[in-house]
Amino acid sequence: MLKKTVSFLLVCLFTAALTACGGGSGGNSGGSDPILIGHEVALTGGSALWGESEQNALDMEIEKINAAGGVLGRPIEFKRYDNKADQTEAVNVANRLVADGVCAIIGPAQSGVFIAATSVTEPAKIIMIGTTTTNEKCTVDDDGSLHPYNFRTTIIDSYQGLVAANFAVEDLGSTKAAIFIDIGSDYSQGLAAHFRNVYTQLGGTIVADEAFRSEELDYRAQLGKIKDSGADLVFMPTMQKEAGLAMKQARELGLTCNFLGGDAWASVELVELGGAATEGCFYVNLASLEDPNLAEWVAAYNTKWGKNPVMPNPVFAVDALYVIIDAIESTGGTDPDEMAAHIENIRDLKVLTGYISFEPETHNPTGKSAVIETVKDGEFTFYKGVS
Amino acid sequence: MLMQTLVTGIAVGGVYALMAVGYSLIFSILNFSNFAYGSIIMLGSYVGFFSLTSFGMPFPLALVVTMLVAALLSFLNERISYSSLRKRKAPSLYFMISAMGTSIFLENIVYATIGASFKAYPPLFAQATVDLGGSTIGKLDLFAIFFSAAAILVMHYFIKHSRTGIAIRAASYDSTIAQINGVNLNYVIGLVFVLAGLLAGISGVFLGLKYMAYPTMGWITNKAYVSAVIGGLGSLPGAVVGGLLLGVLESLISVYIRSTIRDVFSFTFLITVLLFMPSGLFGKYLEEKV
Repeated sequence: MLKKTVSFLLVCLFTAALTACGGGSGGNSGGSDPILIGHEVALTGGSALWGESEQNALDMEIEKINAAGGVLGRPIEFKRYDNKADQTEAVNVANRLVADGVCAIIGPAQSGVFIAATSVTEPAKIIMIGTTTTNEKCTVDDDGSLHPYNFRTTIIDSYQGLVAANFAVEDLGSTKAAIFIDIGSDYSQGLAAHFRNVYTQLGGTIVADEAFRSEELDYRAQLGKIKDSGADLVFMPTMQKEAGLAMKQARELGLTCNFLGGDAWASVELVELGGAATEGCFYVNLASLEDPNLAEWVAAYNTKWGKNPVMPNPVFAVDALYVIIDAIESTGGTDPDEMAAHIENIRDLKVLTGYISFEPETHNPTGKSAVIETVKDGEFTFYKGVS
Repeated sequence: MLMQTLVTGIAVGGVYALMAVGYSLIFSILNFSNFAYGSIIMLGSYVGFFSLTSFGMPFPLALVVTMLVAALLSFLNERISYSSLRKRKAPSLYFMISAMGTSIFLENIVYATIGASFKAYPPLFAQATVDLGGSTIGKLDLFAIFFSAAAILVMHYFIKHSRTGIAIRAASYDSTIAQINGVNLNYVIGLVFVLAGLLAGISGVFLGLKYMAYPTMGWITNKAYVSAVIGGLGSLPGAVVGGLLLGVLESLISVYIRSTIRDVFSFTFLITVLLFMPSGLFGKYLEEKV
C-alpha cells in the first residue's frame, strides 16, 4: 500500500514538474502555435542581478509584441532556464533548449559561458545571440573560422580595451599602469591583453601585472605589490564584487591612484561593497542609463518593475530579440540557415540602442559606441560618450 | 615591504586559523571533514548582516546573537545530517557525502529565499588603519585577530581543563571506550558542534565585515580546510599554526614570486607536508588529538 502511495505521489510530482516546465513565460495570445525562443540566462549566482534585469526587459517586450499580434500572426513564447553563469550548466541548458525546439537563443551574457554553449547549439544549427559577450572568440575562433550561427549585439573586448587605454592616457594622463585581473576569467584576461597592447603603444608602461583566482576575497598581498610599483592607475577588468573589494582594500593600504574597469563593474553592488573607496573610479560601459535614446524605455521599465534596469544586459537582450524577430519576419519562417544568412546582412535595423548592422565576416555589430561612467557621491554617473 | 607582507599574511592567516579550528574540532571527534561547516559560516554571516541592518542591533549584541544562532544551526546540522548515520555506524565517507549535500542544500536555500546579491556589512570602523612601524593594518584586522585568538584560547582552556572538556578529549580518543566509562556520547558530540558553531558565528561576522555575505562564501573555507590539514586535522594548536603559516606563505609568494601561481605553491606545500608528515604538523594518530 505504502509503495503504491509513494509511486502515486511521485507520478503526481513528476506531472506537476512537467507542467511547470512547460509554462515558460510571455503570453500565448493566439490560437496558433507559438514561436519558441530560448533564453539562456543567469538567474542565480553572481550574475543574477543582470540576469533578472534581462528577464524583466524581455518579458516586458514580449508582452507588447504579443499584444500587437505576435510575429507572422503567431505569439512568441520564451523557454527560459537558469545557467548560473556556469559553463557546465550552460551546456545542460543549451541541450534542453534544443530539445524544446527553440528557433533561436538569446544569451548567455558571459563570453566563457557563451563559448561553452556553442558546443551544443552549433551542431544543432540554432541561432545564438550573445548580449554582453564581448570576447572575440564568441563569433570567430582563434584560427579565424566563423561560428555560422553565433552573433552578438554588443561591442567586442578589443574595442573596449582600446577605449579604456585611450581614456587612461588621454583623459587621466596615466603613464604607469598596473593590471589586476581574475586569472580564471576569459573576459578579464582578454580585456587586459587588449588594454596592455594599446596602452603601451600610446607610450605608457605597465609597471605591475597581478592576478587573483575567482572566488578569492583578499587581494592585499597583490595590492601591496602594486602600491610599491608606483602605478598611477590600476586597470581591473574584473567583476563588480572583486573590483569593489579590491578598491576598498587598496585604499586601506594607502593606494591613492585611479581605478579603471570594464563593463562588468556596472552594478550597484560595486558601490555597496567598495563604499567610499569607489568614489571617482572610472569604467567603460556598453550602454548608459542616461542615454537619451533609452530614456523612454527606462521609464517604462521602471513603471513596470518598480526599479531601474541593471545596465547593460537588458538593452542588448532586447536588441537581440528585435534581430531575431526581424529574421523570422523577413525569411517568413524559422529556418536557421536562412535566418543566419539574413542576420549577417542586416543593415541599419532599428533596435532599442539605436540602429544595428552586422559584419558578415565576424558577425559583430558595426558602429556601436561605448560610454565612460564614474562614481560620484555613491551614484553611477555618465562621464563621456566614446564612438 | 617584507614587514607589510608579513602583517598582511598574519591578518589573512588569522581568518584561516579561526575557521580551521572549527573543522579540526569536529574532525577530532567524528573523524570526518564536515564540509557543511562552510555553509554554517555563510549562514552566520547573513545572521550577522540582518542583526546589524534589519534589526539595528549594536555590534557586540549582533556578534553574540550570531554566535548563538550559528551554534544552534551547527547543532541541528549534526542532529539532522549525521546522528542517524552515526547510530547506524556508517563509514565516514557517508558522513562526508551527507555534509556536501547539506552544504549544497543550505546554499540553495539562501539563493531561493534571500537571493544571490552580495550583502555588504555597514562599516564598523571607518576605513581606519593602524600604523605598525611603516606597515599598515586595518583596525578591523587587529580586532579580528585579537578576538579570534581570545576565542580560540578560551576554547582550548575549556577542552583542556573542564570536566566536559575531558569528556570531549576522551571521546575523541576512542568513543566506544569513553562511552563504556560513562561519557554520554550524544551529549558530547552535540556540544562539539555547538562549540564549532560558536566559532562559525565569529568567522561569519568577521568575514562579512571584512568582505561581504553571499551564498557561495562557504567555499572560501577551502583554504581553512587546507590549513587544518597542514596543521594536522583534529589538533587545535595545529589548526592555528596551519592557518597562520598558510596566510603568511601565500602573501610571501604573491609578493616575491607571482600572485598567479600562489595556489600552486599553497597546494604543493600541502602535498609536501602530507608526504613527510601524513598526519600534518601537529596531528597525532591514535594519540591525543584535541
